[in-house]
Amino acid sequence: MVEDTIIAISTPLGFGGLGIVRLSGDKSLSIAKKMFRPKKLKVRIQPRRPLFGHLYNFEEKQAFEEAYLTYFPKPHTYTREDIIEISSHGSPLILEEIVRLGIKAGARHAHPGEFTLRAFLNGRIDILQAEAVNDLIQASSLKQAQISYHQLEGSLSKKIIDLRKKIIHLLSQIEASLEFPDEGLQISQKHILKTLNSSSQSIQQLIDSYELGKTLNEGLSLAIAGRSNVGKSTLFNALLQTERAIVTPYPGTTRDYLQELLKIKNSLFTLIDMAGLSTRSHPVEKEGIKRGQKIAAGADGVLLLLDLSRKETREDFRLLDEYRNKKLLLLFNKTDLPRKMNSAVIRKKFQGFPSLEISALKGTNLGKLRDMIHRHFVPKQDHQEEVILHLRQKLLLEGLLTCLEEARRLLEQGYSEDLAAEELRKIYPLIGQLTGEIRVDEVIEDIFSRFCVGK
Amino acid sequence: MIHPDQYDVIVVGAGHAGCEAARAASLMGLDTCLITIHLETIAQMSCNPAIGGLAKGHLVREIDALGGLMGFLADETGIQFRLLNRSRGGAVQAPRAQSDKALYRLTMKKRLEQIPRLTLFQGIVAEILTKNHKAVGVMTLEGNRILGKSVIITPGTFLNGLIHIGLYSYAAGRANEPAALELSKSLRALGLDTFRLKTGTPMRLHSQTIDWSRFTPQPGDESPVPFSFRTKKRLENKVICYIGHTNSQTHDIIRNNLDASPLYSGKIMGIGIRYCPSIEDKVVKFPHHRRHQFFLEPEGLETEEIYVNGLSSSLPLEVQRDILSSIPGLDKAKILRPAYGIEYDAVLPTQLKPTLETIKINSLYLAGQVNGTSGYEEAAAQGLVAGINAALKVKKKKPFILGRDKAYIGVLIDDLITKGVEEPYRLFTSRAEHRIYLRIDNADKRLTRYGYELGLIAQEDYDSFLNKQKKISRTMVILEKEKIKTQAGDKISLKDYLKKPDVRFKNVLEYTQFDTSLTEEDIRHIESEVKYEGYLKRQEIEIARIKKMDRERIPESIDFQDIPGLTREVKEKLGKRRPRTIEEAKKIPGVTPAAIVNLHVYMKIQNRKNVSRGTSTDT
Repeated sequence: MVEDTIIAISTPLGFGGLGIVRLSGDKSLSIAKKMFRPKKLKVRIQPRRPLFGHLYNFEEKQAFEEAYLTYFPKPHTYTREDIIEISSHGSPLILEEIVRLGIKAGARHAHPGEFTLRAFLNGRIDILQAEAVNDLIQASSLKQAQISYHQLEGSLSKKIIDLRKKIIHLLSQIEASLEFPDEGLQISQKHILKTLNSSSQSIQQLIDSYELGKTLNEGLSLAIAGRSNVGKSTLFNALLQTERAIVTPYPGTTRDYLQELLKIKNSLFTLIDMAGLSTRSHPVEKEGIKRGQKIAAGADGVLLLLDLSRKETREDFRLLDEYRNKKLLLLFNKTDLPRKMNSAVIRKKFQGFPSLEISALKGTNLGKLRDMIHRHFVPKQDHQEEVILHLRQKLLLEGLLTCLEEARRLLEQGYSEDLAAEELRKIYPLIGQLTGEIRVDEVIEDIFSRFCVGK
Repeated sequence: MIHPDQYDVIVVGAGHAGCEAARAASLMGLDTCLITIHLETIAQMSCNPAIGGLAKGHLVREIDALGGLMGFLADETGIQFRLLNRSRGGAVQAPRAQSDKALYRLTMKKRLEQIPRLTLFQGIVAEILTKNHKAVGVMTLEGNRILGKSVIITPGTFLNGLIHIGLYSYAAGRANEPAALELSKSLRALGLDTFRLKTGTPMRLHSQTIDWSRFTPQPGDESPVPFSFRTKKRLENKVICYIGHTNSQTHDIIRNNLDASPLYSGKIMGIGIRYCPSIEDKVVKFPHHRRHQFFLEPEGLETEEIYVNGLSSSLPLEVQRDILSSIPGLDKAKILRPAYGIEYDAVLPTQLKPTLETIKINSLYLAGQVNGTSGYEEAAAQGLVAGINAALKVKKKKPFILGRDKAYIGVLIDDLITKGVEEPYRLFTSRAEHRIYLRIDNADKRLTRYGYELGLIAQEDYDSFLNKQKKISRTMVILEKEKIKTQAGDKISLKDYLKKPDVRFKNVLEYTQFDTSLTEEDIRHIESEVKYEGYLKRQEIEIARIKKMDRERIPESIDFQDIPGLTREVKEKLGKRRPRTIEEAKKIPGVTPAAIVNLHVYMKIQNRKNVSRGTSTDT
């Protein structure tokens, strides 16, 4: 099979002083030779040994930049193809020029994730690892990078393989009880239910970890709410000024709300500022407010802002009531102004919600606020490192769980094991989309390795 | 020169496969010759005196529904009957019967002798005669040529058989019967790949030397369920089987004598049967088990021989005696025939078509243990299919192939020819994707029409089948129409009532009158149909979906290299074979179900792209 040779910049654009361009495919070496001249002419390119030299523009017959070239011959490479890495100064202009020359010399620009795809197709990594690499590339928070790394190491794969084993054991128990009614196997329904529950639990744990994965992947959304002029935008800017993470403009259809990424410690948040939640406004603005409210209602958490410098109003209480079922922080703003609000009344009425007095304008207590946000909103994680990061995986696991739950229901309601088995058999192909498909022969093998049957 | 006989179909070997094959071909109107090494042991049960069990009992029902003989004979000559898994759902219930071995073989011989077009002949076949890659006959050891338009080979363990007792071994097909040594060479000479398998059989004991009081009786069912849809007589239990256990002393004896076992001393090269392990296998593989169960089964009414089901072994005779002496109740038992292991040749079944004809040699069919299976029932099923197809080929008619969704026979043959075999293959219900549909109670509904069309089901039997179906559909109508009030006050149909896990048909009878001629068999069928209804419907949809997907055409322009998620190996295979439909792609060995899903999804995406591209140029 002849695959073309692909090329791409493999370090994030605009970061750091060093950039890497990577080639993968049979022609990697010959293409690289066209655009690279070693410093010492006699030196030959040797596997896995960085070679210093100049990048060479073969169109204009001119060297233009210093660089290191490393050759990784197949098959012990990431893609299991020949790989060339060219390290040079990280300027996007230079890196793009290297890619342009590479294409001129016969390479093709890689599609996003194509290196990983090749690694997957050539059997270098399994699908879970492939997805993890993709996350690693796009990781925007450190914790996520860490998790991706662990997944790359195959720890999620291992978990899923363990789960697969568990399910095979469950299937073999139930099938053996059906196939060998005569051979004195003591496989009671109680036994089967026990294995069933333990498999369900393993799956549930993985599913639960999805929420954490989602948080790390997308960032928790935090809405800043409060009536108009309470200082929402000030707080929005104050938080972002100090800890702005990555600028990612999300073009909204109108300017109903603003949204920016905020990084606290190793966690990402999407901070949403809803412009002026005032009930008496222009009709157009009202429409915007409605949309803003919807977003706040869908957010993972709410920072509810109250103005200490004004007396509490019905509007304040209305908002408090509206958000009381959400994860909420009560923020009493404007400590820099004379206080008119009776904050004790509100605190008493909304006991249990953490609160903090701040001044968004003066920056008072903002450090404390950041800690509080982190403490209050980031899901507590147990020590498991494996996190399901993909919706696809979560949905598949939920599918597995449904089969197990249905099988359990049938057994508990007194239906025969063969119907429960029918539910469990749906798992055979389903699990194939997570890890290897279960083949009947594996179940039969398991039966014969666990139970002494056959006369 | 000896003047050769001329037949339509020649069957070599008169075991369970050969008998069904020869009978089917001759009943389909073809001149058939059945050649056996020893006429006395036609349809001999070489191992246990029992037929049926899970999956195997299913097979026997299917054989019967198609017009084969095994089920009817098992009923005729059975001496104890049990329906396994009675408390479970109908899909995993199966009949099992103890047979009177001698009576079974004599009755089969008599039945075959009565078929006008069938000739029995005693001889050892040494060579398969071919012409232009087509089988044209066989030649016996002494040089007799018997010509035929098609040849079915069913040699069982006789194919290059080698018996082991301890470290002593001798060529044989069964204890003291000559092996077919030349035939195996002939098959290889035709270009067929063979491999070596191993199985075994336990010792037979004299019943009067056993202290029966030491064992737990296992009687037959109170109301026996027959195998055959044609059995009209009431079946009777004439014997009782007994259950016993080995003990730690037995296991010590075995462990101390493993060096005398041909299996563990490395003498036996064949791959052992995991599904039917010898006692030494069980002791070695499950060292933590303190005891192993065995059954004492009478070999027939006219003999004192007792078969010790579960103590199969190839240890030397002295060790076999020591084993027995360690078991209270067998300590004084006399061995009439020692247990032995046997190695034999088999042909890799991936060299077969779904008709069981070899791909390499036209009109040459293989059935039974030669295809790597174990079990009388698996053999008979293959024999029937080979016999039917050999006959159809001679008649120049379309082959008869059962799919995996139609019968266990289909599952069995498809497994053999697509997956191949590494150890003796045994059928299990779990091998069937459509287990709840492939039941004993609807085997006739699934298959009898085919048997009738093939000419294997007599008119009167077919009429009684049709009557049964009418009776059942009338009952179904009543079940749907009649409504009752539940304790909760809901009105539900009797059918929905019957679906409840603890409700049986007899509970339904409390509410309304039914056809009084409904038999127990009919009732079991009705219960299954009702209780599984939801699942069956779902499975029907699934089968239809798969069929539809199977028919989908793979565009000729497709580049298999472009499909993500396929291994290089699969891509290469697809690229080389260029399947035209999904069904064809499925049949390529090594193309996994997951790969098929990928291919299908890819086709869909491409299709959608083409459609959307089409519309955008239109607008």
